[in-house]
Amino acid sequence: MERLIFDAAALLAILFAGLMIALRDPVKSVLALVVSFFALAVCYVLVLAPFIAALQIIVYAGAILVLFLFVLMLLNVGPEKPDQDRRPIQTVLGSLAVVVFAGMLLGMLRASGSRLPALPEAVGVDALPDPAAIARLLFSDYLLHFEAVSVLLLTALVGAFVLARGEDAK
Amino acid sequence: MIGSIPLFDVLLVSGALFSIGIAGALLRRNAIQIFLSIELMMNAANLALLGYGAALGTHQGQVIVFFVIAIAAAEASVGLAIFVALFRHTETIDVNKINLLKW
Repeated sequence: MERLIFDAAALLAILFAGLMIALRDPVKSVLALVVSFFALAVCYVLVLAPFIAALQIIVYAGAILVLFLFVLMLLNVGPEKPDQDRRPIQTVLGSLAVVVFAGMLLGMLRASGSRLPALPEAVGVDALPDPAAIARLLFSDYLLHFEAVSVLLLTALVGAFVLARGEDAK
Repeated sequence: MIGSIPLFDVLLVSGALFSIGIAGALLRRNAIQIFLSIELMMNAANLALLGYGAALGTHQGQVIVFFVIAIAAAEASVGLAIFVALFRHTETIDVNKINLLKW
């Protein structure tokens, strides 16, 4: 059962990720990625990380992608025009790089695949890890990193404000 | 183990998503779509981290993914601010047309 849900969710995630890069209209692209991230959140629950799945939906699909949509609406960017300024060499080299990379990844996975362990079996909701354990780790071993991230977020906030403020405000 | 998910499958899904992300980042010309592809690659890496964390029985994978999500939020806000500033300057976010720093 777990297996079936994981396969379906993974397939949905990959399908909509493919749709995301295939669509020319950036707004549709963002919406396809939202679906893909929801499917990925299901996968996260099945790899025993329900807390991260909630974060994925609230922060990624809820905040970051809505921010993307917001900027797209603000800039009013239309779909990519298909036939202007074609660069065949770039397209060929780019496709080649993707194929070579995917092949290398697959080859590496196949070479080490039999030695990989299986995930422990989760039986019911009680077997899912407690978010309190993550919080304990976060506020003890990783406290310095946690504080560094808070400074980083403040820096990003100020940086985004300065960058987007525009010329006339100076 | 019957009924549970092998780590191999998790890594396979992660690798497939990462490859799709690379394809998008290399082949699209709209800066926003390139940025979306980068977000997808981050999520593929997150899935691999969570898979290993679960297979090894630690919470460290989830803590690292927590940090990755926080940094992705910061990166998205700054990146989108750059696009807004760029669009004000050049009236386009097509990366083939933005060549101010090229020569």
